[in-house]
Amino acid sequence: MNADEIDAQIRMLAAERRLPPSHLARWLAMDAASRAALLDIARVIRLRTGQLMTALDTLEEVAVREHVTVAAIFDRPEIRRIAGGPGSAPSRASALLEALRTLRYPLLKRMQEQIRSEVAALKLPRGISIVLPKELASDEFTVSLRVRSAAELAHLLEALDRSRPGLARIIEMLAGKK
Amino acid sequence: MKFDLDAVFVEHGCAGSALATRILGALARDVPVTHVADSDTREATRPAPGAPDPFGAGKRRLVIARRKTPFLAPCPAGSSEFACCGYLVLTLASNCPMDCSYCFLQEFLADNPSFQVYANFADSFDELDRLAANARGRIFRVGTGDLADSLAFDSITSISRDLIDFFASRENLTLELKTKTDEIENLLAMDPRGRVLVSWTLSPDAVYRSSEHLAAPPSARIAAARAVLDAGYRVAFHFDPLIAYPGAERDYILLIDELLDVVPPKQISFVSMGGLRMTPGLRGAARSRFPGDPMLCGEDVLASDGRFRTFTPLRLSLYRTLADRFRKAGAEIPSYLCMEPASVHESVFGAPPVRPAIIGKRLARG
Repeated sequence: MNADEIDAQIRMLAAERRLPPSHLARWLAMDAASRAALLDIARVIRLRTGQLMTALDTLEEVAVREHVTVAAIFDRPEIRRIAGGPGSAPSRASALLEALRTLRYPLLKRMQEQIRSEVAALKLPRGISIVLPKELASDEFTVSLRVRSAAELAHLLEALDRSRPGLARIIEMLAGKK
Repeated sequence: MKFDLDAVFVEHGCAGSALATRILGALARDVPVTHVADSDTREATRPAPGAPDPFGAGKRRLVIARRKTPFLAPCPAGSSEFACCGYLVLTLASNCPMDCSYCFLQEFLADNPSFQVYANFADSFDELDRLAANARGRIFRVGTGDLADSLAFDSITSISRDLIDFFASRENLTLELKTKTDEIENLLAMDPRGRVLVSWTLSPDAVYRSSEHLAAPPSARIAAARAVLDAGYRVAFHFDPLIAYPGAERDYILLIDELLDVVPPKQISFVSMGGLRMTPGLRGAARSRFPGDPMLCGEDVLASDGRFRTFTPLRLSLYRTLADRFRKAGAEIPSYLCMEPASVHESVFGAPPVRPAIIGKRLARG
């Protein structure tokens, strides 16, 4: 396909998906290889409108952050694996967006994983739940206890007390203390 | 700094004012000057119709007008959810000839982006005297660098001379001139008598090159700080916005080292820090004007105050890195965080923030 044919196909897909004109314009403003690469993956894994918009936004931001083209991002092994891998189109679409988000927010993703590991390592009993701040947008987390009896409460409070060092570590991590 | 103006509009009532005379005398002859009726001034401040970048075009339209609302106000960043530094804002101009990609004015002045200077700026002195008279025993820090850079237009207005002259004789008022320029010629010709501090926003070279268009390079800002310090001014530094890009920690430490090599820590009146924060509207405006600026694509998430901020652990870690570096410099430099809650202040500095009036006095006195 030449560039004109690719652009025609992009316009056709954008019309089918009712992609907002501003997003279409940004897609068409990409270099030729990037335009074609996004078209290819959008078709293969059948990105829906919202997914296509999110992918476009995230791809552009990763490209700006890393000074690379969108085509170069699609050429990365972790992205190629999703595009050409097994699984249904919807599950691959979700996996693609998640992989792009990891590229866009590498430190946030790593920190979230580390804190989740700390929480898991606490091995808290059922009845105690820890809710971390969404996207680590705050240094505050919530601990809640669900009890039906005084004995249950005593048991959970003891468990919490035993977990104090681990909870303190989570507080320190949320406050950015290394 | 060099002004690249497309047009100047002078409100009729300001035509013979000292400020208009100074500005028109200092500008290149080929800039068209239009006199407008007082009632039409508002129109001259609006976005230029059809301009591809109305905000950018506004920076090249200078409007000399009377300010019809008070000049003096509490800092608009103050809010019950943030620890406040007690700063007062004196608005003598609106907009700025520099064009930083992250600047909040892109949203705040979207509807009236023309670069305005107020010919009746001397009326602000009455407001300041009233403030001082009504609060005897208090000391106020008053700055002109909120809606404009304090010195960016000083080569054509020389307003700094009038301000320094006024503040030098007021015991309980301290003037803060906040800038990203090295326009200090007028300052060097004046005696501030210890009542004027000049503060610079400092960013690493990477941020300067990527985002701070037409600003002076960081090393020039530091050199200018040393020059005004030697001329009897106090100096302060704002690391705001603090941008958490890859390599930021190392770059900010190098920047602080460069600063401390030139300005001894004991002679720094205070340091402030504030992480890059953008409302969704500002984020959209900034990215659309500067689509290739990686500094606008940090690991920012929507915080509870409705602004995008670097996710908390990373932001706090960067604050702490800078605070530790200053602490290791061996002098107790008063420091505060801008637009952060008391809990963050406590986490970074190890102590809760003091009340605004007290910190305001402390920063004003030095």
